[in-house]
Amino acid sequence: MNIYFRELKANLKSLLIWSGIVVLFVLVGFSKFSAYEGNPELLAIMDSMPKALVEAMSLKAFNLTTVTGFLGLMFTYFGLILSVAAGMWGTDIITKEERDRTVEFSLTLPVTRGKVITGKLLAAVTHCILLLLVTWGSILLGAANYQTTQEFFDFLSLIIPALGMMQLIFLAIGILLGCAMKHYKRASSITMFILLGMYMASIFSGLNEKLEFLKYVSPFKYFNPAVMLNESRLEWPYLLITAGIIGVCLLGAYFTYQRRDLYI
Amino acid sequence: MSIIEVEKLTKYYGKSRGIVDVSFNVEEGEIFGFIGPNGAGKSTTIRLFLSLIYPSSGKARIFGKDCIEFGPEIRQEIGYLPSEVFYYEGMKVIDLLKYSGSFYKKDTTRRMHELAEIMELDLKRRIDDLSYGNKKKVGIVQGLLHQPKLIILDEPTSGLDPLMQQKFFNLIREENKRGATVFFSSHILGEVQKMCSRVAVIKEGSIIKIEEIKTLRNEHYKKVMVTAENSDQLQFDLEGVTNVERDNGTVRFFFKGDINQVTRIISAHDVADLTIEEPTLEEIFMHYYE
Repeated sequence: MNIYFRELKANLKSLLIWSGIVVLFVLVGFSKFSAYEGNPELLAIMDSMPKALVEAMSLKAFNLTTVTGFLGLMFTYFGLILSVAAGMWGTDIITKEERDRTVEFSLTLPVTRGKVITGKLLAAVTHCILLLLVTWGSILLGAANYQTTQEFFDFLSLIIPALGMMQLIFLAIGILLGCAMKHYKRASSITMFILLGMYMASIFSGLNEKLEFLKYVSPFKYFNPAVMLNESRLEWPYLLITAGIIGVCLLGAYFTYQRRDLYI
Repeated sequence: MSIIEVEKLTKYYGKSRGIVDVSFNVEEGEIFGFIGPNGAGKSTTIRLFLSLIYPSSGKARIFGKDCIEFGPEIRQEIGYLPSEVFYYEGMKVIDLLKYSGSFYKKDTTRRMHELAEIMELDLKRRIDDLSYGNKKKVGIVQGLLHQPKLIILDEPTSGLDPLMQQKFFNLIREENKRGATVFFSSHILGEVQKMCSRVAVIKEGSIIKIEEIKTLRNEHYKKVMVTAENSDQLQFDLEGVTNVERDNGTVRFFFKGDINQVTRIISAHDVADLTIEEPTLEEIFMHYYE
C-alpha cells in the first residue's frame, strides 16, 4: 500500500496536466460544434466529400448537426488522448526507477518485484479512472449549452466505459514494455510507436477491404461509436480481445520483470 | 556461522565479464573488506547479493538462505549503502525515511531520529536541495534505521568530509559491536585497513586473495630503503626481493623472507642511512593491482 500511495502522489502533477489538456480539448471541441448545430449546409458538404475519407474518419454514421452525432465524431479523438496518457503512464511508472537511478533504493527494500508492480499498476489505474472522470465531467459541461436528448446520455454511458477499456489496453502495453525492456529509453518510444501504429491501422482498415482484418489488431476499432450509438451495445468479441490483451500484457509484465537484471 | 556464503558466483553481462567464479564466506560479527580497483566487479557482487541482477551461474546465500529465492525476506535484515545515492524527487528527508521504514516489520522511528542526530541531518529539508554529502547522510540513516544484521557498504565515504567519515566509522563500529556483520567494499585501502579484520582482493572479476589484514601486513613484506655512497655495489640477489628501485644512491625494495639475509648484505657495506618498515596496505596492494 505504501508504494501505491507514494506513486499516486508522485504522478499527481502529470494527472493535472493531462486533465488540463482533456478539459481544453473538450471545451474547444464543443465550442466549434456551435457552427455545426442544426446547419443543413454541413450535410451538403459531407455528401460531397470522398467516400473513403468519410469512412476513414468514421463520419458516415453520424449526423453532425446534433450534439450526439458530434460526440460520436469526437470519440476517436478522446480515445487517442486518453490512450496516449495511459500508455505513457504505464511505461513511465516502471522505467522511471531505472531512469532516475532509484532502483538501488526502491528494489533493495524488503519487497518483491511483484508487489512493486502491483502497487504501481493500481496507482496508474487510479489515475486513468480519475482522468476518465475528468473527461466525463467536461463532456457534460461542454454539452450543457446544447440540446441534449436521452439518446445522448445513453450513448455517453457506453462511451465512458469504452474509453476506460482503451486506457487499460494501452496502460497494460506500457507496463509490459516498461517491465520487459532493459533499455528504459526505448520502452516509452516503442509504446508510442505501437499506439500510433494501431491508430494508423484503424484508419487503413476502413480504407480497403483487404485491410479489414486490421480492425482486430487496432484497439481503436474495438469500440465502434456507430454501433454504440445505433445499437446501444458494446461488441462482445472485442471485449474478449480487450480482456485478452490486458491479461496477457500484465502476466508478461510480472513474468519478465521478476526475471530480468535491473539497469543500474 | 557464515552470514554470507558465495559459491562460484559468476556474472556475465552479455559477453562482457562481471565476475567469474567468485567464492568466499563472511563470518558472523566480522567486518569484511572487499577491495579492488574500479571495474573489478565489486558492485556487481553486491548487486547479486541484493538480487538487483541475477547470476549467470553459481550462487550466494545470506543468513543461510538463497539470495534470489528469499530475496525480500533476507533484505529485512540487510542495510545497504550504495556508492551513489539517488532518491525520489520532491520528497522531504523525513518522508523518504518514513517511507523506507514502512517496509520493515520493526518500528524504525526512534532509531531514525537517533541516527539523524548523530549524522547531523536536517529531516525537514527537501532531498532535491541537499548537497552530495548530505544525500549520502540520508543514505546512511536509511540504510541503518532498521538495525540490520548485515550491513553492506559500497564505497561508503565518498562525498563525506573527514569529520563525518569519522562519525560514520564510529557508527559502523558500534553497529558491529551490537552484533552486525559488515561487508565493506572500497578501493580506499586506508579505510579498509582501519576497519576490517579480513579482506578479499578482487581483480578483473576474480578473487586473487583472501587474507587476515594482520597476516598481510606483518608476516609478509618489509619495505627496505638503503642509502649509500657506492649504492651500485649493493646487490640484493635474494629470493623474495621485489620492486627494486634505484635513484640518487638510494635502493628501495620489498622483501619477503628472513630479514637476516638482508642485514648480512648491508653490514658488508658502508651505508649512510637505513630504514626497514612495514609497507602500507596501499603498497602491498599495488603489487596485486598491477
